[in-house]
Amino acid sequence: MKNKYMFGGAIIIVFLAVMVYLFTQTNVQYESSFAKVMQTGKTVKATGSWVKERNYEIDKTNNLFSFYMKDPEGNTMKVIYHGAIPNNFESSTSVVVTGKYHDGNFHASDILTKCPSKYQDQTGQKASS
Amino acid sequence: MIGNILLTLALLAGVFTVIMYYLTYRGYQNTLSLSRIGFHTTAIMVIASAALLLYAVLTHQYQYKYIYDYSGSDLPTGLLMSTFYAGQEGSFMLWTFFTAVIGLILLDYTSKRGDLEPRVMMTFSLVLSFLLIMVSPLLKSPFNFIWMSNDYLDLKNINQAFLSLPALQSFIFTDPQANKQFVQMGKELHAALVSNNISINDFIIQGKGLNPLLQNFWMQIHPPILFIGFSMSAVPFSFALAAILKNEYRDWVKQAMPWVLAGTCVLGLAIMLGGYWAYGVLGWGGYWGWDPVENSSLVPWIVGVASIHTILVQKKTQEKDGGSRFVKTNLILSIMTFVLVLYSTFLTRSGILGDASVHSFAEPGMAVYLFLIIFLGLFTVIGIGGIIYRWKFLTEHFSFEENILSRELALFTGSVALIASAIIVAVGTSAPIFGTTVQTSFYNELNLPIAIIIGFLNGTSILLKWKHTEGKQLWKQSQFAVIATVVLTLLVVFIGGVHQLMLIILTLSSSFAFFVNTEIAYKIFKGKKTHLGAYVAHIGISLFLIGVLATAGHSQQKQVDLVKGQKVNVLGHELTFVGYTPFDNGKKYHMNIEVKDGNNVRVVSPIMFIAEFNNSLMREPDILVGLTKDFYVAPVSYSDSQENQQGTPTTMKGGDKVSFEGKEITFNKFILPKDMSAMASGAKFRIGVDITISYKGKEYKVEPYMENEGQGPTYFPIELKDADLKISITAMNATNAEVSLLFSSISKGQTTAAPKEILTVDASIKPFISLVWIGVLTMVAGFIIASFRRSKESLV
Repeated sequence: MKNKYMFGGAIIIVFLAVMVYLFTQTNVQYESSFAKVMQTGKTVKATGSWVKERNYEIDKTNNLFSFYMKDPEGNTMKVIYHGAIPNNFESSTSVVVTGKYHDGNFHASDILTKCPSKYQDQTGQKASS
Repeated sequence: MIGNILLTLALLAGVFTVIMYYLTYRGYQNTLSLSRIGFHTTAIMVIASAALLLYAVLTHQYQYKYIYDYSGSDLPTGLLMSTFYAGQEGSFMLWTFFTAVIGLILLDYTSKRGDLEPRVMMTFSLVLSFLLIMVSPLLKSPFNFIWMSNDYLDLKNINQAFLSLPALQSFIFTDPQANKQFVQMGKELHAALVSNNISINDFIIQGKGLNPLLQNFWMQIHPPILFIGFSMSAVPFSFALAAILKNEYRDWVKQAMPWVLAGTCVLGLAIMLGGYWAYGVLGWGGYWGWDPVENSSLVPWIVGVASIHTILVQKKTQEKDGGSRFVKTNLILSIMTFVLVLYSTFLTRSGILGDASVHSFAEPGMAVYLFLIIFLGLFTVIGIGGIIYRWKFLTEHFSFEENILSRELALFTGSVALIASAIIVAVGTSAPIFGTTVQTSFYNELNLPIAIIIGFLNGTSILLKWKHTEGKQLWKQSQFAVIATVVLTLLVVFIGGVHQLMLIILTLSSSFAFFVNTEIAYKIFKGKKTHLGAYVAHIGISLFLIGVLATAGHSQQKQVDLVKGQKVNVLGHELTFVGYTPFDNGKKYHMNIEVKDGNNVRVVSPIMFIAEFNNSLMREPDILVGLTKDFYVAPVSYSDSQENQQGTPTTMKGGDKVSFEGKEITFNKFILPKDMSAMASGAKFRIGVDITISYKGKEYKVEPYMENEGQGPTYFPIELKDADLKISITAMNATNAEVSLLFSSISKGQTTAAPKEILTVDASIKPFISLVWIGVLTMVAGFIIASFRRSKESLV
C-alpha cells in the first residue's frame, strides 16, 4: 500500500466510523407530538408554542424557570428549565426545548425561542378577518 | 426603480461578459476587449447600485420594502449603514458588491499572466452573474417598492399628519385583540397617496428597525469581512476550472496561491470576529456554540486551509524535480471550498434548518429556495464534472509515492485530518435536513483528537525535509522542542491541574507545535523575514489550541444574587452591586458592579434593557479582560421588590386568569378613554384595568387605574376589604394589551419592607481566553505575510 493512502485512509476511516457511532448516540430527534415526547424516555427536541394563558414561573431560589407548552394537537405539558428566562421569551411564538420528559414534567436543558419578524403574526390575523 | 434597472443591466452585462470570455477562450481574436468592457460595465453597475442602496439607507427611503423592514430612523450612522446588510436582500447585495470589486482586481491580475484571463474570468463572471440573478427584481432585490406586495404597517411608523385624510380611512385597520392599528400598504394605497400628492417617503416616517441583538460594533465589521471571504472563495475555484479547461496543471497553483492565502485569511478573521461577538456581546458565555450558521462558514474555511498545504506541496515538488504532487487533491479542494460556501449559503438562507439555529431565518420563498438549489447544484456539477472529465488524464500523469518521513506526506496527512474535521462539522450541521440534530458533544469529542493530530503534524511537518529525512537528524533538530514540550506539559498537569488524558495529550501536541515553530521563526527572523508567514500562522494556531484547551478545561461558572450594597464572594472576587445608571436616553441601563480582586477594585457594567423592537428583555455581558483570565459577568435578572415580598408582578393579557391566596382574579380588558386624541396630544388621560375577583362564591368588579398628565404614568391601586386583597399596577402596555399586577393581602401587607434591589448574574472565569483571540490574530498575520511572499512569486 502507498504511504499516502495508508495515513490518509486510516484517519478518514477511523474518524468516519467514530462519527457514525457518535451520530447515532448523540442525535436528538425533533418531536412535535407531546404524546410521543411523554412516551419515549430519550432526549428530544420538543417543538410547540408557549401557552400564554398560563403564566410562567420563575423560582429564583432554585434557579428554575417553568412554563407550559402545547403541541398542535392541543396536548400541554409543563416545562422546567434550570436557568434564567431566555432573552426574548415573551415575544416568542414557537419554542424548541431540548430535554427529557420524566415525573410528569419536561426537564429542559436548552430553550430556543423563535420570534417571527415583528408584525407577521398580527398581519396573519388581519388577513383572515 | 433606478436600482432595479442598474441591477438588471448589470446582469445582462454579466452574461455578455461570460459569453465574450468564452469566445475569447475559444480563440476569437477581437472579443477580449469586449469581455473587458463587459466586466467593467457589470462591476460599475453593481458598485453604483450598492452606492444607491447605501444612499437610500442613509436617507431613510422607506419606499423600499427592504429598508422599511430592516432599517430605522433612530439609529446612529454606523449602525444605520449596517442595516444595508441586515436582511437577506442586502447581504446578497453586499456579497455581489465584493465579488464585483474583487473581480476587477482579479481581471488586472490575470491579464498580466499569459493566457489566464479568459479562462479564469469566464468562471468568475459566471459566479457574479448568478449573484446578480439572486438580487434581480424577480428574486431578492433590495430595491423592490413597498407597495408592490401587500403589507400591514404599524400606525406608529406613519406620519400622523396624513391619518385624518378621508381618502386614507379605508386603509386603516384596528386589531382589537392586540389593540394595534395598521395601515394596509399596497397598490391601492399607493395610488391614493399619489392622487393626494403625498410622497411615500413623507408618509412612512419610520422603519421596523434593526434587531437589538445586532446593534453593536461587531455588526458593522463581521458581515462585510465574512462576505469578502465568501467572494474570494470563488477565485481558487475559477483558477482550478481554468486549469481543467486547458488541461494544464502546473502554473495555476503558483498563480492561485496568494489568493487562497488571502481568502482563507479573511474568512478566518471573519469567523473569529463572529466568535468574539458571541462572547463579548451576545452573552453566549463562550465563543463557539457549534451553531449551524457559525459551522457553515467554518467548513469551507477548514477545506481552504487544507488546500493551502497540498497546493504548497505541488508547488514545491514542481520547483524541485518537475513532478507535480497532489494535483487532483488541489483541484478537488479548491473547487470544494467554493461549493461549500454555496452549500453554507443554501443551509442558512433557504430556511431548511428551521428550528435548529439561534440565528433567525426568514423563509425566503419557493423561488429563492429553488434558485439556491440551482446555484449550488450547477457549480457543483461544473466543478466536480470537470475533474471527472479529466480524471483519466490526471491519474495517468500524476501518481506518485511519498516517503514516510517526508514533509509531503506530513502535509498531506495534516490536510486529511482537516478534511475529516470539515466532514464531521458538515455532517453535524446538515443533520436538521433529515429531521434530527446532534448535541455539541458530537463536535467536541470528534474534533479533540483531530486537534491533537494537527498539533503534532504542525510541528513535525516543519521539522521534516522535502522528499526524505533521516531519523537521526530529525531527533537532533527537535531536541529543544521536545524537551520544552515535556516540561510545559508537566507544569500544566501538576501546577495547572489538568488531569483528563485527552487534554494532556492536546497540551503536548499544541505546545510541541508552538515550540518547533517558535524556534524556527526565531532563526528565520534574523534572515529572510518574508519567509516567516507559515511559522507565524502555525504559532497562531498552536496558541489558539492552548487557549481553547484552557477555557474548555478550566472555566468556572456560578450564578449569584447580588443584593444592592451587599458584598458577595464569587470565584475569588468580591462583588458588590452598587446600582444602575441609565444611558442612551434612559432606554438602557448599566448594572454597575464593583469587583474587588485582591486590592484592585474595578467596575463591570453589564447592560439590561427592554427592547421596543421585540418587547423583550435584552442582556449584554461585561468582561474584565486580563492576560491570564477573563472575569465574565452576564446579567440574568433584576428585581426591585417594593412594599411587600410576596412575589414578582404577574403579567396578564386580556382574559387571563390567576389565583392568589384562594382568590380567582381575571383581567378582562382595559378601559380606554373615549377621546383617544388626548393620549396623543399630551393632555391628561386615564386608563382603567377591568378586573373581576371571585372569592368564596362572590364576584367583585374592581378597577385600578393609571393616570397620565404627560409626565409619565401614575398608578392607583385598589383595596378590596371583603377579600383582603390589594391590587397594584406595576406596568401596563396598552398596545400589547398587557398589564403587570402585584397582588398582596391587606392584613399581611401592612408591614412594608424596605425596597430591596436584587441583581442576579452569571459570573465566570475564563482562563487564557485571550490566547484564543491572540492565536487567531497571529494566524491572520502569518497569512498576510505569506500572501505577500506568494504574490511576488506568482509573477515569475
